[in-house]
Amino acid sequence: MKTKQTIAVIGAAGSMGSAISRSLSKGNYRLLLYANQQEKTRTLIGQIKAVQPSADVEAMDCKVQASWEADIIILAVPFEAEKEVAEKIREMANQKIVISISNPLNSSYDGLVTRPDTSAAEELQKLLPNSKVIKAFNTSFAANFSTPVIDGKQADAFIAGNDDEALQTVAELVAVAGFNPVVAGDLSASRILENMQLLLIRLGMKYNYNWLAGWKILHN
Amino acid sequence: MYELFFREFNKKIALTPEEQDLIKKYLTPKKLRKKQYLLQEGDVCKFVAFVEKGALRQYSLDESGNERIIQFALEGWTISDLYSFLTGETATYHIDALEDSELVLISKSAHEELLQKVAKYETYTRLKITGAYIAMQKRLTSIISSSLEERYSSFITLYPDIVQRVPQHMIASYMGLQPETLSRIRRRISSR
Repeated sequence: MKTKQTIAVIGAAGSMGSAISRSLSKGNYRLLLYANQQEKTRTLIGQIKAVQPSADVEAMDCKVQASWEADIIILAVPFEAEKEVAEKIREMANQKIVISISNPLNSSYDGLVTRPDTSAAEELQKLLPNSKVIKAFNTSFAANFSTPVIDGKQADAFIAGNDDEALQTVAELVAVAGFNPVVAGDLSASRILENMQLLLIRLGMKYNYNWLAGWKILHN
Repeated sequence: MYELFFREFNKKIALTPEEQDLIKKYLTPKKLRKKQYLLQEGDVCKFVAFVEKGALRQYSLDESGNERIIQFALEGWTISDLYSFLTGETATYHIDALEDSELVLISKSAHEELLQKVAKYETYTRLKITGAYIAMQKRLTSIISSSLEERYSSFITLYPDIVQRVPQHMIASYMGLQPETLSRIRRRISSR
């Protein structure tokens, strides 16, 4: 696509938000970064521009304004914060792609706080009924964005959602970030994806992967 | 946020509050800053844009890179590469913002669903396209049969807002003239 798409990253100062912002700044995107701690956003923009002087990236002081300008909105906030953010941006997110990256982990990292018959992504879709919620980036650690090739293999990044065109758009975005995009299914596949990351986190703690771990589907 | 959109819609065909709420679900609010593109040639145009606030233009580039403006859109107007939108072929026009703008976009998929679900939306679309067709025919007739002075005089009478808000060289491009030619015509008209 030649026309530059505008992406709002809400929660851009967090580890995932800043990793996503850094990697997408390489693509033909205009990034609008919002975080509660604005000072951190400005530092991040300085770092991005130092590596990528031509990057089209700007700090926003309002998430509603950022969402209004955006074509795609990435919610890089913890699961617990999604409800409040969703309520604020609901009107501006109408008909837009909203990417859910969160994993609804409990405080001891040994289970999910969501019921088995739902997922963080499906809960977000209920809060934003007229938006195209897509699950993405939840099976990647922040460290993977700077090292998407682990042990010589490009990590897979799974995507789930109900709108084919939106899935295609997000698959392109995931590829720009350096991962191999794999569409897992409709939005209910997020239940599996969120549990996959729970497993990876648990294995990481058990075997000390030091956050450099990812998923790769082996197939013929 | 959709005040002007629904005001214009209701002028063509009155909606019940329920119909209005249903249509709202399919609208995309979008803000565009001055000089940003809404569409670039070569992409498929996936929406029509209604201007709530601001100004846009639609143009193609000739072989030497000169802009050929086909349309302006101010508040209350709709702009799109309609050929690309309707056929799914790539766009032959660029659309960008002349001022900071607030738009209401209707995507192709939303458009198709609205046509199915809201009978009045189909009527609205028919009236909009009929109106655009008539305007285009008038423009064509004026290009073929009116003098340059007549064309410019009727342009400033019909679109005083565009004359106020859009640079002269863009109006010249819209009329298919060199800027110097338009300046000459303006001088001739003002000296009358």
